[in-house]
Amino acid sequence: MSIDLLRTSLSILLQGLVATLLLSVAAIVGGTLIGLLAAVLRSFGPWGSAHVAKLYTELFRGTPVLITLMFIYFGVSYFGYAIDVFAAGAIGLSVYQGAYIAEVFRSGIESVPRGQWEVSQILGLTKAQTFTFVVLPQTGKIVLPPLVGQYLSLIKDTSIVSMIGMSELMHGGQAIVDRIGKPVEIYGLVALIYFAVCFPLSQWVRHHDRRRLT
Amino acid sequence: MNYQWLTLWGYIPEFIKASWLTLQVTGLAFALAVVLGLLAALASLSPLAVLRFIARGYVEIIRNTPVLLQIFIVFFSLPSAGISLDAYWAGVIALGLNVGAYLSEVFRAGMQSVPRGQLEAAAILGLEPAQIFVEVVLPQAARAVYPAIVNYLIQLLLGTSLLSAIALPELTGTATVINSRTLLYIQTFTVTLVAYLVLSNALSWLAGQLGARVFHPPLIVRAPRRLGGLRLHRANRA
Repeated sequence: MSIDLLRTSLSILLQGLVATLLLSVAAIVGGTLIGLLAAVLRSFGPWGSAHVAKLYTELFRGTPVLITLMFIYFGVSYFGYAIDVFAAGAIGLSVYQGAYIAEVFRSGIESVPRGQWEVSQILGLTKAQTFTFVVLPQTGKIVLPPLVGQYLSLIKDTSIVSMIGMSELMHGGQAIVDRIGKPVEIYGLVALIYFAVCFPLSQWVRHHDRRRLT
Repeated sequence: MNYQWLTLWGYIPEFIKASWLTLQVTGLAFALAVVLGLLAALASLSPLAVLRFIARGYVEIIRNTPVLLQIFIVFFSLPSAGISLDAYWAGVIALGLNVGAYLSEVFRAGMQSVPRGQLEAAAILGLEPAQIFVEVVLPQAARAVYPAIVNYLIQLLLGTSLLSAIALPELTGTATVINSRTLLYIQTFTVTLVAYLVLSNALSWLAGQLGARVFHPPLIVRAPRRLGGLRLHRANRA
């Protein structure tokens, strides 16, 4: 592989990396908000909403993310509207990962001993106050490592958005291979870039996650 | 609208054939993953530094790159090294390699969950190292890791959808073909979604049944607990 070729390929791949990171950030923000909402609804919501939240997590944990993405991207166009592929990817990944993130938050909420709820109630705190000032601060510490682990799999999942045609890192690699071949070198380079992004995160998770079996 | 759903009715045999292919790939890849996972777990606990290094490298490389990229490397890059695989076997190998890395972490944690004292006691009682592994460590480790393994089986089933990228006619691949033939996006993907839901729930139900029968005492996968309002209410009333 000549130096020129390498330089051109790298600049295409780095542009792809920027798109991958932007998409990741958008989906992380969306997924966390949706996940937190679903977890709170499921644990504390009024009767009906707990069931809706449960249905939501069960639905997305039992279907592939690719189907979610295709549903949103092609489904919207079926009804005669156009949707930007970045928006479709961000919405699809948020909604999908939100289901997993909801489970992470739920296990965090459940890990706070029930006795603390009873004590807070006796001390005269309302349920909302207990959640905000007693449960949530403790949940944060427990939840952070598995949450970052989920973000890690979200970042890797952004590669799937290339299958509905978004030009991010994975798609950039494919485009170069389509043009000039050299699948070993190009896909190796793509793997290296993903690795450089994911490795620090996964090491952090490995170091901080005290749960042993997940 | 009804007419459109009826159009799709004619494609049901294709969906069934595709589901069967999905299950096949899932089963084969899972078998490969369990073997690789066990080997990597044993290697990562071995006293030989070389083996530990290889196992760690395998796990870190797989866990820090996207599975879609791994599928592409097996399918498009291996032919340059003289290994040509069709989409079916490339899919089995790529997914097996991927899930094997995750399973090895689970297996390792499971083996380490058996207290050291038991190993020493077994050794004092005169058991061979192989006997200790098979009769003391394995039954306890298997029980500890079973729910996590089932989880990865489901993840693997859902992951086979990515093989549509290398033109394997499994569920998602078939759906995209039917989609381009009929242009009934919503209907086609709804049927596909339901098919995945049925498959994943059937697999986890079967795994639950198996867990309740194979292990003694029966392993019951924890039912979701309700928290907060309801329970607190009940506790107060009592």
